[in-house]
Amino acid sequence: MDTSALTHSNNTCRGSLACVGMGMTLGSHLTPLARSHIERADVVFAALSDGIVEKWLQRLHPDVRSLQPYYQEGKSRLKTYREWVALIMAEVRAGKRVCGVFYGHPGIFAWSPHKAIEMARAEGYEAHMEPGISAEDCLYADLGIDPGRFGCQHFEASQLLFYERRIDPAGYLVLWQVGLVGDWSLARFQTGPAYRQVLVDRLSQDYPLDHEVIVYRGATLPIEKPRVRRVALCDLPNIPLTVEETVVLPPAEPLRLNLAMRERLDALDALEKAGKEVQA
Amino acid sequence: MTDTIDLLEAIGQDASLRHASAEDLGKVLAQAQASEALTAAVASGDSTRLSAEFGLMQNKTPEGILSPAREDEPEEEDPLEAPVPDANPLPSQK
Repeated sequence: MDTSALTHSNNTCRGSLACVGMGMTLGSHLTPLARSHIERADVVFAALSDGIVEKWLQRLHPDVRSLQPYYQEGKSRLKTYREWVALIMAEVRAGKRVCGVFYGHPGIFAWSPHKAIEMARAEGYEAHMEPGISAEDCLYADLGIDPGRFGCQHFEASQLLFYERRIDPAGYLVLWQVGLVGDWSLARFQTGPAYRQVLVDRLSQDYPLDHEVIVYRGATLPIEKPRVRRVALCDLPNIPLTVEETVVLPPAEPLRLNLAMRERLDALDALEKAGKEVQA
Repeated sequence: MTDTIDLLEAIGQDASLRHASAEDLGKVLAQAQASEALTAAVASGDSTRLSAEFGLMQNKTPEGILSPAREDEPEEEDPLEAPVPDANPLPSQK
């Protein structure tokens, strides 16, 4: 079928923004739609996990601008992200069709794509997000976890320390950014064992210290395999851990029946069976 | 010699290669006359060996560290300004 007639006109100077995900693994996860956004863009900004993936992206577009140089040790990441938004918006306002390409999914653990889209829309520009395969998606596949089975909570690890949060140890618990847990400054890219010990102390309120936890890192290059380590919770502070690694705590206790709710539901079932009208 | 990025893309897109053993993948790479760095990375299972071809390319991992660890957003009254381009080399120098 000749699909050339479907191609949208490029004769527009109105700026626009698409934030797309590159997926996790080079060559494997880029969706046709994300690729199309990249190829149609006037300017591409890139925040990617791997320099080689960035080189691959450069094959897809002649004007790929890396956002990596804006990261600096000791500089608040909030400042960096705001600079990213400013760079993206400057090109949108200049009438360019802009594509922001982000590692994994552009909307997960990603402040700047959400902010840039919000700002572009507020200024009247067309802006939207295309999902990508995220680290979370790969985690489920590689570890054989179905989040629907027991339920699954996700937290940025520092949130467990900065805020009062409720953990449900009957489900899975997935902790992101454990490698820099407790960094309030947003200016570091790693925190040490003492910080992780504070996290373990918090987790020990809900889990036994010998509970087995999984340390996971997905593959970013197609010649890599996922990295999976299993350690006791109490050993978490003392193992080498990078910020790319994610910590998963499997359920530590069985699901408990909620007898009061079961009774209410049984009563409703009985009413339905008797053909009586069920009222809220 | 086949280009390493092209080979990586081909491996990533091919169901018979993506999860192939190092031995099987090594045979394919030999046929394709892959670079020494890529061949060594596959044989050893250590992708950092690619640095011999591309140099040290350790990116910060944005998805892991993009989100502020707290709920308060930056102050809106502080204007967003694009950094001076000369201060930060663009496009990518990698």
